[in-house]
Amino acid sequence: MDGLVEIVEFSQAAMEHIDALYGYALTLTRNVAEAEDLVQDTFLRAASAAHQPDCNSNLKGWLFVIMRNAWLNEVRHKNCGPKFVDLETGGQTEDQAQENPHVVYLRKLEREQVRHAIESLPDAYREIVVLRDIEGFTYQEIATVLDCPAGTVMSRLGRARGKLRKLLSTWQPKSRIKAV
Amino acid sequence: MVKCEDIRGRLTLYLDNELQGEERGMVEAHLSDCESCAAIFTRELNFLNAVRESAPLHVAPPELRAKVQKILSEGVSGVVPETRPRRASRVSWVLAAAAALLLLLLPLLVWRFKQNTTPSGRAPSHFALMAADTHLRHMRGQLPLEIESGNTQQISSWFLNKVNFSVKLPNYQESSGQDKLYTLEGARLVGYQNDYAAYVAYRMKERPISLVITSDSASHPSGGEEIQAGELTFHYNAIDGLKVLTWSDRGLTYALVSDLEERGQQSCIVCHEGTKDRDLLEPLKPH
Repeated sequence: MDGLVEIVEFSQAAMEHIDALYGYALTLTRNVAEAEDLVQDTFLRAASAAHQPDCNSNLKGWLFVIMRNAWLNEVRHKNCGPKFVDLETGGQTEDQAQENPHVVYLRKLEREQVRHAIESLPDAYREIVVLRDIEGFTYQEIATVLDCPAGTVMSRLGRARGKLRKLLSTWQPKSRIKAV
Repeated sequence: MVKCEDIRGRLTLYLDNELQGEERGMVEAHLSDCESCAAIFTRELNFLNAVRESAPLHVAPPELRAKVQKILSEGVSGVVPETRPRRASRVSWVLAAAAALLLLLLPLLVWRFKQNTTPSGRAPSHFALMAADTHLRHMRGQLPLEIESGNTQQISSWFLNKVNFSVKLPNYQESSGQDKLYTLEGARLVGYQNDYAAYVAYRMKERPISLVITSDSASHPSGGEEIQAGELTFHYNAIDGLKVLTWSDRGLTYALVSDLEERGQQSCIVCHEGTKDRDLLEPLKPH
């Protein structure tokens, strides 16, 4: 990478994805401290490979591939046991603050239910839902991140959403009670 | 005339923006004419919107942002970044505690080592450790099966295009007329060496048995007690109370994990006794 301008541009562009990468790291590790380590590892690897020609074509996808490979390496070397996630939810957005507090409260409840349902999914399902529905990757981009055929992405995503729908449908009555 | 079932089969692709051109137009035209498909579409859309609106799931804490910013400014500009401290304070007290615990437990560990050490005394391979961990995680319900089936052919087909090797599960019981001693439960993918390995779950005597398969190039069996059986070399390890047997055959490496009372190699005999492999397995029998 040549020139200060490119360096700054790359850093700014990469920083835009830090929340997404942190979320994905938590999806993979289910542990806050390990997720933070994984995010730093990812950016460290990205920084040293920032001169590669393919990094700018799909920077987000490229960073996710780096993260997943780094995590698989970590798992292989550590042979780690079960992990428990310390679930943190994002703060209130500016849009929410301007709305009716009751509506904001109900929407927050719904979002938290969905988040909990996503966190309750089995590893492979949670990962694919995060990549598609939270991060908005295309099937082909997900296939690149997971290093599997796009057909596998489709079928796994279908099963994951089916499971998610089931989880959310069992929680529906609760939300109705709270909404009254 | 486009059939509703054709459209419904494409709804997910449409909602995920995976359809283009004519196909996309066809779905849109049908949805504007067909109330029942439009109702399904709306329900799916609402569900996906609810999921998508839950983003972001997490927000990176400010301290992490600062650390990453530093990594980027030093790393990209060519300055060699400092080795990242890995939760130094936590690690140091954990190490101190571990050292103290080790001292206290040293006599016990020495005794256990003498009891459990294999003749060759070599540590288990990464693959054997991964297989044991996968078995435990599956038992705890952390790794649910992605396909549940007792049909070997169905499981083998499921792995097609998912792993970069061919998974052909034999059916010793049926082919040999042997009584049904074990049942095939299903399978899933597990991450290994930046790729997927195949995980197959069996059950025998009400206890789970795991078979993990990867390519020979990803892992070659090593460590543990070596047992020669014909042209095959089996490696036996006791890991976390589990019996793990690893071996390579025809370009694939296998790990068999169980907590059966029989030693790892003897659990092979339990399944294969009475099959055409009995001669091959003769050396595995206890002496």
